Amino acid sequence: MKRLLHVWAKHEKYVNVVLFAAAVVYPLIFTRQYLINVGILCLVYVLLSLSLNVLTGYMGITGLGWAGFFGIGAYTAAILSTKAGWNFILTFLAAMAVTGMFGLLIGMPTRKLSGRYVAIVTMAFCEICRALETNMDWLTRGSRGIPNIPRLELFGMKFNKQAQYYLILFLVLLAVIVMGRIVNSRIGRGVLAVKDDDIAASAMGVNPFSYKVMIFGVAASLAGLAGAFYAHYIGFIDPSNFTFDQSTIIISMTIMGGLGNPMGSVLGAVTLTVLPEILRPLMDVRQIVYGVMLIIMMIVRPQGILGGFNLKHIRQQDSVHKEVRNE
Amino acid sequence: MSNEVILRAKQVTQRFGGLCAVHNADLEVRKHEIVGIIGPNGAGKSTLFNNITGMYKPTEGQIYFHDMDITGKTPYEITKLGMARTFQNIRLFPTMTVLENVMLGVHSKTKANLLDVIFKTKRAKKEEEETLKKAEEILKLTGLYEARYNYATSLPYGYQRHLEFSRALASSPELLLFDEPAAGMNERETKELSDFIFKLRDMGYSILLIEHDMKLVMSICDRIYVLDHGEVIANGEPEEVRNNPDVIEAYLGKEE
Repeated sequence: MKRLLHVWAKHEKYVNVVLFAAAVVYPLIFTRQYLINVGILCLVYVLLSLSLNVLTGYMGITGLGWAGFFGIGAYTAAILSTKAGWNFILTFLAAMAVTGMFGLLIGMPTRKLSGRYVAIVTMAFCEICRALETNMDWLTRGSRGIPNIPRLELFGMKFNKQAQYYLILFLVLLAVIVMGRIVNSRIGRGVLAVKDDDIAASAMGVNPFSYKVMIFGVAASLAGLAGAFYAHYIGFIDPSNFTFDQSTIIISMTIMGGLGNPMGSVLGAVTLTVLPEILRPLMDVRQIVYGVMLIIMMIVRPQGILGGFNLKHIRQQDSVHKEVRNE
Repeated sequence: MSNEVILRAKQVTQRFGGLCAVHNADLEVRKHEIVGIIGPNGAGKSTLFNNITGMYKPTEGQIYFHDMDITGKTPYEITKLGMARTFQNIRLFPTMTVLENVMLGVHSKTKANLLDVIFKTKRAKKEEEETLKKAEEILKLTGLYEARYNYATSLPYGYQRHLEFSRALASSPELLLFDEPAAGMNERETKELSDFIFKLRDMGYSILLIEHDMKLVMSICDRIYVLDHGEVIANGEPEEVRNNPDVIEAYLGKEE
């Protein structure tokens, strides 16, 4: 197991390329609509789980109401495309901007609150969003939902299933790259420092509050992007898509996959999306199987399957050992 | 030694409810000076330190860094101005490597913002390279270079203290504040520490430190402040302080 980790660390680039290639080839091999739909759903959840990982894995703030941001993104895109006729590129950007703003707003209480209290704030936020979506009838059509959201199209060409799959794959890739750059930078170090010890961080010149707010904004806007794609892809949204249950699914993916590791989010999201589909024949029993698996996970590896690994650190440590051996 | 005062605390008072932890304390640190704060446990040394570094805002009084009033500024603003501290109970970042801990120290002197980082601008790249270079230089100075990729808290205790010094140095401060730097060190390590502090002074830093190890304080400090019950009861050169009757009384009690 440990050997495997070192091998992975050494060849991380190739592993990533192979995984990405597999994701590219998938809809070409499995051309059944159902399988492509499952693939798209996986990638939507990967994006959501990644975005939550930014907040929970790197910043150490548990986001319990992630579906709230998902919903804001979806509703922003749905309203702008049905009422104002905006193209999806514009609705995507608008959804990111709007959810980002809400992220910054929800980040504000971190000035006074910490840990689990912030988690409660995010949970309440999700409920407030759902209540507003249900009751602001003039804007959201309440529980009747918004139907006929324009499908994705560019220059008059409608996206087929494959094209939609590639679009969300591209968005996930973008999110992974952006996350990687943030983590391996001055800002990423600031974020980790605040997570580890915010008093020491502030003594070293990092403003913990502004980092928390900023990361809330970044994470939320990625969730908003996932929401915007989802709205255009599915064509109909109503408040029942963005409940606390949805939030629970997203955070299960992030935590089970592994906190602070982008590959963890991919693994968590894909597993927890595909598993219920595979277990479909078991009908009612599948919820039990699902629950038991989560409990086993929590006992065996509470930090998540890929949690607590930093491949870059492993690589660096290995390089030193090699130098020592060569001398 | 120049006479330019870089840090001045004026009539600083810190109350916690009914408890007066620091009372009308005056303190000065001049350029290239090593100044010690001593006093029995609970005398208010660490509180005064926290007042200076912005962890607590003093109830009364002012603190000046050069001629700037820094009373009530936040710790990160103060660090940016050129003061860096270490902690009595070591506070390193456990999920970061030794190198990353020191690189974080450079944080206050770098500027790359979120967009620089996402689009990998020239400025961000150049800054990152400079940060790495600086961190490596410091680690070579403090003798931790070999261990740079280890996790900070996996180091032995003595090295963890060295890492705290390294991290503080990385912020290019003018004034270093050490809170009990020799705590938990044996005699040999303490000797090394005093050499290290002299070296820092020769490199142009000014140093303010809290210390319980009398031998160390008496041998390295240019001037010493003695705190008791939150008040400065004596200050001066080590020899003066050592013979001051008030100080002897505070430490040993009154002669009958």
